[in-house]
Amino acid sequence: MVFNEVMSLPILELRHVVKKYRVGKEVVTALDDVDLSVQAGEFVAILGTSGSGKTTLLNVAAGLEKPTRGDVIFRGTVLNKLKERQKVVFRRKQMGFIFQSYNLLPTMTAQENVALPLIFDGVPVRERLKRAVAVLTIMGLKERRMHKPMEMSGGQQQRVSIARALVHNPRIIFADELTGNLDSHTTNDIMRNLKETICGQGQTLIMVTHDHDVAKFADRIIFMVDGKIVSEERGGHKNE
Amino acid sequence: MKSFDLLTLANRNLWRRKGRTFLTVLGVIIGTTAIVVMLSLGIGLVESQKKQMEQWGSLNMIRVQQSYSFPGEPSDNPQRLLNDEAIEEIRAIEGVLALSPAYEVGGEAKLGRKMGYFSLIGIDPAMMDLLEFEVSHGRLLTGDDKFNVVAGSWVINNFMDPKEQPGRWDEPPPQGDPLELLNKRVSLTLMNQRQQKRVYSLNVVGILSDTSMEHAHSVFGPLPEIKKMRDFIQQGMQNDPMIPPGKAMEMSGSTADRVVEVPTQPGRSSGREKDQYSFALVRTEDVAFTRAISTDLRERGFNAYSMADNLAGIENAARQMQAVLGGIGAITLLVAAIGITNTMVMSIYERTREIAIMKVVGASFGDIRTLFLAESSLIGLMGGSIGIGLSYLLSYILNKYLGAAMAPGMGQDGVALQISMIPAWLVLFAVAFSIGIGLISGIYPANRAIKLDPITAMRNG
Repeated sequence: MVFNEVMSLPILELRHVVKKYRVGKEVVTALDDVDLSVQAGEFVAILGTSGSGKTTLLNVAAGLEKPTRGDVIFRGTVLNKLKERQKVVFRRKQMGFIFQSYNLLPTMTAQENVALPLIFDGVPVRERLKRAVAVLTIMGLKERRMHKPMEMSGGQQQRVSIARALVHNPRIIFADELTGNLDSHTTNDIMRNLKETICGQGQTLIMVTHDHDVAKFADRIIFMVDGKIVSEERGGHKNE
Repeated sequence: MKSFDLLTLANRNLWRRKGRTFLTVLGVIIGTTAIVVMLSLGIGLVESQKKQMEQWGSLNMIRVQQSYSFPGEPSDNPQRLLNDEAIEEIRAIEGVLALSPAYEVGGEAKLGRKMGYFSLIGIDPAMMDLLEFEVSHGRLLTGDDKFNVVAGSWVINNFMDPKEQPGRWDEPPPQGDPLELLNKRVSLTLMNQRQQKRVYSLNVVGILSDTSMEHAHSVFGPLPEIKKMRDFIQQGMQNDPMIPPGKAMEMSGSTADRVVEVPTQPGRSSGREKDQYSFALVRTEDVAFTRAISTDLRERGFNAYSMADNLAGIENAARQMQAVLGGIGAITLLVAAIGITNTMVMSIYERTREIAIMKVVGASFGDIRTLFLAESSLIGLMGGSIGIGLSYLLSYILNKYLGAAMAPGMGQDGVALQISMIPAWLVLFAVAFSIGIGLISGIYPANRAIKLDPITAMRNG
């Protein structure tokens, strides 16, 4: 906590966030009074077993789901109080998303997939493709930019998906089990590549994973059990 | 999102499922074609009837007569006399382009050896052109004409050589050549109530063209001369101001050398009062004025008749028929609309994941909605455009085969009867309508797509 006061205002802050789901007749508490503060430029990994509430934490933090109680504050704005159309603007301008299952549009080529967020921002087609190719080049996929997702390996698809999350130069990137479908060799390659890129840009990354090795790439690891943050590790030092 | 990007994306999405899109478009094609062809039949009907009516008389002409009420019969309208005062009143009505009062007399006529009958109408020669008189041969009357006349194209058929054998009863009478009258002298015999007879020698200087049947059976002469003829015929009638026969001769004045008076049987004339015209011909600016003016004239107490009056009845009947035909087309298009909705809903089920991804990467509600509406409108546009093309083809086939078979010889100048007509407004209407149908059909699916929760959609996808 002392550390937070020294740093400037956090880019993302969760205050007493509670998220409950109704599953049939039962009410499941996915997040139980979570407090979290993320600084700009930080790489945070959320580690936990399945059912620990880590994906819910990510979704709530990104404004994709509304918390039952508590507030999510993104750069001074209470995200959960915004209307959907206002949240869309935040997502389009400032957030990037990477998913475990890549979530690429099968009908589009790699560069079209990467350029997709720019379409909704009204960027002209020439400019769109130029920026998409630039990011694909960073991800080492320049040669495969005209291929469709089905013609690429899992690792390549995930690189395309990362490129799509980075193309509009967001402040913060949310990643959900981004290496979940990849072998360890590819995982290491991609993680190194991703970390280099976002560090160079000063971007913030919040990543959910159940893999300790992957979590080690982060500046800070948050451990979750049963919807609560149980401990935190920073630079290899674990705080209970 | 830019509209070009939107259309590109929408178009691409549609062609991902070629078969399904094609079938949906086919539904719209059939719907549009049905509605256009059905309406074109109704329009063709009205137009061909209009054309047929124009053959019988111009739609811009009104014939005004004095209204007659029988003694003892109560009349709602004031009864008006068709005199000079009335003529000036009619001339002042808005929309009246030209007007001529007319006298009508009739009597036996002789053309060489042939005997016949002349229905002679006196009108203002200066107005002939404006009143849509047209000659096929010779010329129209001028102000200088006195005993020169212009004959309708059918007048020659009134003449027969008494020595010739009449044709068999079941054979149509042979059509005479109107040119037989041109530049010929015809002697007309008029008789008055006192059994006096006068013979006039008339010269036919023009033959009216046969585009209008209205004037085909009459002969037209200059108003002043025909008025004198009428005055002669009226001598001896009940309300005749008792002009002695000798005086009547004097009135003929300089024309006396061409007039021979012989007493025999009575002739006929219409217009009972001395200063009263038989009827008046009114030319209006267009059909709309014709209708309004003829209604107006009736309200003023005249007896007005025009071809345009019949048009209203025909148009009403046609409108009803159009409603029925259009209704059938509309049902087809409604079915097509349901087809579009169904296709779009199916497409949302298939594309839940895609919609979710677009939402997560920053597509707004508006973007998603416009995308789906654009897709459904495109289906409408494609169906509508192809439907119009198909309609033209069907319309051509209908006119060529069915039109010719249904009404042989009814067309003008050898042109087959157009039973199906597609005016420009119908094309625009059909395209706009099919796009509109697409748009409306897309509203429900688009709203469903908006409501889709991206997280659930991606988890399930």
